[in-house]
Amino acid sequence: MHHKPADTARQFAALSRRSTLAIFRQPAIIAPSLIFPLFFAALGSSSFSRAISLPGFPQVDSYLQFTLAGTVTQGVLFGSVTGAAALATDIQDGFFDRLLAAPTSRTSILFGRLAGSSVFGGLQALVFLLVLLPFGVTVQAGVLGYASIVLAGFLTAFGVGALMSVVALKTGSAEAVQGTFPILFILLFLSSAFFPRETMSGAYRRIADFNPISYMVEGQRSLSIDGVSLTAMTQTLLIPTGIAVLTTLLALRQLSVRLAAR
Amino acid sequence: MNNTSNTAPIVAENLSRHFGEVKAVDGINLTVNQGEIFGFLGPNGAGKSTVVRILTTLLRPTSGTARVAGFDVVKQADQVRRNIGVALQDAAIDPLMSGYELLELQAVLYGIAANKMKQRANELLERVGLTAAADRRVSTYSGGMRRRLDLALSLVHQPAVLFLDEPTTGLDPMSRLTLWEEVRRLNSEGTTVMLTTQYLEEADQLADRIAIIDHGHIVREGKPSDLKRSVGDPTLLINVSRQQMDQAKVVLSAFGDMRPTAEGTLGVGLKGGAERVAEVVRALDEAKVVVEHLELNQPSLDDVFADATGYRLEGADNAPQAG
Repeated sequence: MHHKPADTARQFAALSRRSTLAIFRQPAIIAPSLIFPLFFAALGSSSFSRAISLPGFPQVDSYLQFTLAGTVTQGVLFGSVTGAAALATDIQDGFFDRLLAAPTSRTSILFGRLAGSSVFGGLQALVFLLVLLPFGVTVQAGVLGYASIVLAGFLTAFGVGALMSVVALKTGSAEAVQGTFPILFILLFLSSAFFPRETMSGAYRRIADFNPISYMVEGQRSLSIDGVSLTAMTQTLLIPTGIAVLTTLLALRQLSVRLAAR
Repeated sequence: MNNTSNTAPIVAENLSRHFGEVKAVDGINLTVNQGEIFGFLGPNGAGKSTVVRILTTLLRPTSGTARVAGFDVVKQADQVRRNIGVALQDAAIDPLMSGYELLELQAVLYGIAANKMKQRANELLERVGLTAAADRRVSTYSGGMRRRLDLALSLVHQPAVLFLDEPTTGLDPMSRLTLWEEVRRLNSEGTTVMLTTQYLEEADQLADRIAIIDHGHIVREGKPSDLKRSVGDPTLLINVSRQQMDQAKVVLSAFGDMRPTAEGTLGVGLKGGAERVAEVVRALDEAKVVVEHLELNQPSLDDVFADATGYRLEGADNAPQAG
């Protein structure tokens, strides 16, 4: 297959536009991934307000300040499933075939879908920051911190979306993709998204120590509480980038498997 | 009108596709000539959609070869895609996008220059009567509107060969007629059309030639009129007064074998077909027989189908499925 790079870029742009429009044209899909994390943040803020004085918690004025990074990550994980579920729906209802019957660059089909949920991931992070600011939440790292957290939202949504796309491409079932979501949710709760690792013990602590989500969240948390540092920036941006590279390779492999099986 | 097969827009040779033990398509040979409307007729599960999916590069054949628009469907799949238009029955149209947006997307996929996209989209919307609905989301379209949009999408790049997979399934009679008209118009402009259908009337009305597929095999192929003729002569039914029945019978029996009919009607298997009706009328007139009613019943494609497969296509859901 010989596609000129310019044609591929144009196809990617057009398919990205389609997937982005699709997300914003379905309020019923985007609303929960915006509302639930804020609801959890509000709930945690009132329930755990005195938890911040426990040993192991960083010096923060409020639990909300502590949980900002967890809220952003939770929302982005919620939203990142939509792109993969939409890819599975495309396979189920035949739109995928429509694209394959045209001289469409095969990778554009995958990346075009991921683009929509990634843009949404970045926007989610921005919305959470803007909504929580009036409640006393700050990002000590300033503009660089805000930009990094928004970019992390984009990268996390891309990486997790690619991982979910593996399921979409393997099963061709939107239900199967939605069915894997609880795994993400469990991984989130088995991380330091809502409590510092220093307050954990036993197996819970060991899992959190191995969980990459812990380090992503802690990077963003450090940007918001402590300010800019190389470690915080690395954790905030490089971990989701690494995950995105790995999961994209897996998704591309699964795409090849699906196309070869035809 | 058989072209040499190497220049024909669609040529399949010994094409097979197996899904495990199931032979969905089993060694078919097929040639569709330039400028034809070729009807591919068969019940659900006969293998017609599998053939179309192979010819449109969506499936690889297990064995055999196929060339579409001059290109091999496996080795030159991308060139095939650039030269064909495809409207698949089971390929949904994104309900969240408008008709215009989908045409724009399709134009990009086929590499149509940005400055020509708008004009082409508007031309096609007008052609299929969707200009007024262009900016509405497809979720608000009726079934007929979706099919017309699907047709417009398949024409964005002005393909030489058009594949229509069951284009009117589920449509109301008016929408069906509108779509038939458009297919005829496209064909008159030079587009070669391969059409799959399970509707006998559709194949009869539209197709220059048809192939009947059953259990993965092509069991009949030819012009609808020739196929029908091959089943037997048409039946000429005549009503005359009771007093002239015997006299009429003598005249009619010179044109073919008498056939059983309802009481009060005479039927003859008219050798030579419709061209001889005038001759029959003249003979009856010369014998002073007054004809009250006359009709010529051609054998139907369902008769052809039944002759080839042993069962009728109408109500063929009970037929054994080939996959």
